[in-house]
Amino acid sequence: MKIKTILLGLTAVTALAAPALAEYPERAIELTIPACAGGGTDTSARKLAILLEEKLGTSIAILNVGGGGGSVGASQFMQAKPDGYALFATWNSPLTTVPQVQNVAYALDSFTPIASTSETAYTLCVKTDFPATTGAEFLAELAANPGKYTYGNDGIGGTMQLAAERIFQAKGIDAIAIPFGGAGETLQNFLGGHVDIYGGSISTVLPYVENGEAKCPLVTSAADVPALSGASGLAALGLGDKETLLWRAILGPKGLDQAIVDKLAEVIDAAVNDPSYVEFLATKGEVPNVVKGEDLGARLQTEYDALAEVSKNLGL
Amino acid sequence: MEFYTNAFVQVLSFGPLTAMIGATLLGVFIGALPGLNPVMAIALLLPLTYSMDPLVALAMVAGIYNGSMYGGAIPAILLRIPGTPASIATTFDGFPMADKGEAAKALKIACWSSAVGGIASAIALMTVGPLLARVTLFFGPAEYFWIAIFGMASVGVMVGSDPVKGIMAAVLGLLIGTMGIDNLSGQARFTFDQTWLLGGLDLIVVLVGLYALPPVLQLAEKADLKGLSAAQLRLNDVPFKPGERRALIPTWLRASGIGIGVGILPGAGGNIAAFLSYNAAKNASDDPASFGKGNPQGVAAAECGNNADNAASMIPALALGIPGNVVAALVLSALTIHGLQPGPQLFHQNPVLVGGFMMEMLLTSVLIFALGGAVATRVFAQFQRLPGVLLVPSILILMCVGVYVINGRPVDLWVMLAAGLAGYFLEKVNVPLAPVILGMILGPMAEQSVRRALLISRGDATELLTRPISAALAIATVLVIIWPIAKAMRRRRDAGKA
Amino acid sequence: MEKRQDIVLGLLFAGLGIAAAWMATEYTGASGNYPMVLGLILALLGGAVTVRAVRSGRSEARALIEAPAKMITTAVIATLYVGLVVPLGFYTASFLLMLALPMALGFRQAVYALVVALVFMVLIYLVFSVLLEKPLPREALLSFFASGA
Repeated sequence: MKIKTILLGLTAVTALAAPALAEYPERAIELTIPACAGGGTDTSARKLAILLEEKLGTSIAILNVGGGGGSVGASQFMQAKPDGYALFATWNSPLTTVPQVQNVAYALDSFTPIASTSETAYTLCVKTDFPATTGAEFLAELAANPGKYTYGNDGIGGTMQLAAERIFQAKGIDAIAIPFGGAGETLQNFLGGHVDIYGGSISTVLPYVENGEAKCPLVTSAADVPALSGASGLAALGLGDKETLLWRAILGPKGLDQAIVDKLAEVIDAAVNDPSYVEFLATKGEVPNVVKGEDLGARLQTEYDALAEVSKNLGL
Repeated sequence: MEFYTNAFVQVLSFGPLTAMIGATLLGVFIGALPGLNPVMAIALLLPLTYSMDPLVALAMVAGIYNGSMYGGAIPAILLRIPGTPASIATTFDGFPMADKGEAAKALKIACWSSAVGGIASAIALMTVGPLLARVTLFFGPAEYFWIAIFGMASVGVMVGSDPVKGIMAAVLGLLIGTMGIDNLSGQARFTFDQTWLLGGLDLIVVLVGLYALPPVLQLAEKADLKGLSAAQLRLNDVPFKPGERRALIPTWLRASGIGIGVGILPGAGGNIAAFLSYNAAKNASDDPASFGKGNPQGVAAAECGNNADNAASMIPALALGIPGNVVAALVLSALTIHGLQPGPQLFHQNPVLVGGFMMEMLLTSVLIFALGGAVATRVFAQFQRLPGVLLVPSILILMCVGVYVINGRPVDLWVMLAAGLAGYFLEKVNVPLAPVILGMILGPMAEQSVRRALLISRGDATELLTRPISAALAIATVLVIIWPIAKAMRRRRDAGKA
Repeated sequence: MEKRQDIVLGLLFAGLGIAAAWMATEYTGASGNYPMVLGLILALLGGAVTVRAVRSGRSEARALIEAPAKMITTAVIATLYVGLVVPLGFYTASFLLMLALPMALGFRQAVYALVVALVFMVLIYLVFSVLLEKPLPREALLSFFASGA
């Protein structure tokens, strides 16, 4: 028994003592990601974790809990102890979109917002031979042909679908949503001609825009996106208030000590703006975006309310 | 050609070479330990490689992936516990062979077949891969539906002596597969208000319980206190008899073709490649009744099929940027972290890296020849020298740790235990377990594809049959069902004449 | 085949199928049809197994468990182990299992069991906690010592 105890002592964990800030972090942090390994959120979080490990001087263990559009991971994380050693790296959908369509056990106040990290827009793309090229033409073509076009998205009630439907509702467009398991699957069906319109993240479709196979008339951000020069931002189409973004953030469990939140937010800010991370984000069509603490909470609430309205109109 | 000679030189430098050897060995271990699987291992190890040379990182992926597909055969043969989902079909004939005292031969066949399948697949990746990748785009939801149904038709070979119970097991698997949030409507099904069930039951959790616990309990019932002596193990190298290897060649060719074909389709998944290859081998055999009773062809088909899936599953990922399974997604994720952009330009963007990775998939398959047999007989089979009563808790602990680290939640341990106890009794009353797993794998694919296809066709079901590829697949499915019946009838008629 | 076993098996599956089909009636539209059909098929197959068993004349004995005492002991200890992994911590519970289960199955070489247990636990520790850094259920003993010290 003794040998084993000594062995375990090597991990140097002291469990019950509340962590004083001066020492935080003094052991490994467990980072829960509510998505499977290998996806966009996972890759971004893992890359960030490497930088955070350096800056915090501790190791970060990553736990992927996929399923339910992120709600399984969020529900599981909600029960973690708010001691600063359990963190949650998520994209916005599990917090602001999924609760609109699923009965989830958590609410926005089940978490302590720490800092957002990066953001990007979704895009709608078509094959090069599609009879519309600019954003305005694209929406006009869809409006003129109700029920004719199908668009692939990341799953029913997902942020991508709501982002598109916000625009479609404003313009009175009727297009048929075909839910797929993720952007990769949507791309496969779009390239094969099984759906007319690709709806999803920019980075996935970008290579096909560059080789001339696809063109993207629209992005779901208010501003234009530099990587997709042909795409209109929503502001240019007079739909600036219908912006829906994909963004990522790190949160803690409810009741996390303010001093720890501040320390983590500061470290995350530095890590996100590290040139290597900015460069990494650029290859994925994302830009750094750090909103800390209470401001992040307010951002979540605003988005939650706006999407609640869309999903009510959709009857989801 | 210059492309590959360049890549070859790169790969043979010190870093990638040691990484390949180490990772292949590690992969065999991971595959062989029930509870550990390649997806988990690659997900866990890949972050460690972010700061390394990408060729070294990819060498590790290739080694673990190929090594573990073979490693899964070792406990499947020795203990009837499949190390990975893809090695279920290996238990059908592998364990009966071991039971007859032919464990060493079964391991040798598994090793050769894995290596052959892996090599064939890597060659496909290096030659026709980019061309074939474009073909996969013709497969839409309607075609995927038929692939799932085609896979389900192979359930015929595993229903055992009692077809009604076999089909019952498959339907149970299909029902389990519907658990969780329905991706097409957002409806939660059979979740009993438990949030952890929203994602459905994890295949690995159920597999580990269902397949590993019954043999463990039987081991406990035997309560062997001594363990086998070295002489009893009978693991001396058995050379192939003349003609024996040649007899396996048709099976290898067929299984490689099937594995590559299934692997290249994103999302179709390698777990069914072994089932389909096994089914094909049985259908082609002159003596289908000997399958399931220790026919070496069965082991060869299953192991060759599951390894042939590996490199092929990288084809859509590398050529199109579409990851077909989690391992491919992890590889793309690693490439992104190293600053590369997956997509059709990847080959031109960094030919050395892409070519190098293909070469590594090839070389790690060759390494299975060199390392696989020795690891199986020198290391794993030796565990049987431990008294059975000590093996029981060891395997239990491995199962638990493997299941726990998947999602980090204790409730999965209870799911595993419940699945295991259910599996123990189901087997005793002649309900086969393989159809349950097959149903869990193919059910969601069949349901989601058919509903997507109907959404796209605006509810017109004839589109499932009128598209050329889906029509061909539908006909193939019917043939696969009819073929063994027709063959059996013809044999009976011939027997009647004689 | 053993008649009673098949009757019970068939009834169990039929019940499961009916329950599933009944639950599926509450699901919206297309998401309910598929599990409902599956549930009904399962119920039919279960019914078929039961009817076949009732009608079949012969009943051969088939032991459900070969060595009931050992099987039940193992199942109970495995259940206790799963229950104790979280409260005691992974390594403590596993170590106890490595010693308790062989003893319960009649193994009397305590030193042998202890050595195997130690070697095995060290291997698991090196792989999962050192190499892979996977968080496993925390050791209650450590907290106890930490708070006592």
